[in-house]
Amino acid sequence: MLQIAEKTFNSRLLLGSGKFASSQLMQQAVKASNCQLVTLAIKRLELNKPQDDLLTPLRNMDIQLLPNTSGAKTAREAIFAAELAREALQTNWLKLEIHPDPRYLMPDPIETLQAAEQLVKLGFVVLPYCSADPVLCKRLEQAGCAAVMPLGAAIGSNQGLQTRAMLEIIIEQAQVPVIIDAGLGAPSHAAAAMELGAAAVLVNTAIASSPDPVEMAAAFADTVRAGRRAYLAGLVSTAQQAVGSSPLTDFLAEL
Amino acid sequence: MHILLNDQLLQLSTNCSISELLQQQQLTSEGLAVAINNNVISKRCWPEHQLQSNDNVQLFQIVTGG
Repeated sequence: MLQIAEKTFNSRLLLGSGKFASSQLMQQAVKASNCQLVTLAIKRLELNKPQDDLLTPLRNMDIQLLPNTSGAKTAREAIFAAELAREALQTNWLKLEIHPDPRYLMPDPIETLQAAEQLVKLGFVVLPYCSADPVLCKRLEQAGCAAVMPLGAAIGSNQGLQTRAMLEIIIEQAQVPVIIDAGLGAPSHAAAAMELGAAAVLVNTAIASSPDPVEMAAAFADTVRAGRRAYLAGLVSTAQQAVGSSPLTDFLAEL
Repeated sequence: MHILLNDQLLQLSTNCSISELLQQQQLTSEGLAVAINNNVISKRCWPEHQLQSNDNVQLFQIVTGG
């Protein structure tokens, strides 16, 4: 069971709801993935445009909705977005993300830490998207964040665990769940993250942009479970040379 | 009186609450957030919160995102 703050979850896969061709497809992928945490965003309402009922189907699936602060470039903007999201969804759960740079969408560590400190004081359950920096992750944990969400690679880049060595240190040191967010482009990447000991992974682009998002969501669910089981079973160490797996009999010499 | 609603000038009768404004605009409150003059207004205050002349009202909605 994955525990974040006072809530427990059976699934260790979190889904981002962006980039799907339709909200129906997104809902089907959520169902196929068996995930229990789905991220959403907030933006200014376009007047005279009909409101899409995105939330009723998700609420019926008993999903913990996790609004993000995407679009915020500073701590101040993120706190404003967080307060809006809390009212819109009536939840104090929040994926904090502050990325001022549009090319690489790298999270701003200083603004993120400042925002996290204030949001925790305001009563939010803060899950910050952050760089794979062990010192920063520790500082976010000390600020009272309910989890940390270091990146595997740039958002939407599908490059997998580019930050692997740093993630290993983060996981070793963490007293809160480590959720690998961003950059996971294939189910094997999710399995690798779980084998490292990550508490969970968050996937969006790799599922939403697949030609068959529903099947891909199920594939990620399988590898997240497999990676977790492998981590709990205990992975064996690697060796430079071959180590035989069959008994070394000497019958060939007798011929 | 006049207010600004997401940058559009809107004429309203006096004594209009946030809830009444949303009704007029045919908006449901689910997934919606309201800021007035850059202050986020708690949903439970919407029925009583009276709009003032020249208020800058901004409406936000939940959308898909990662």
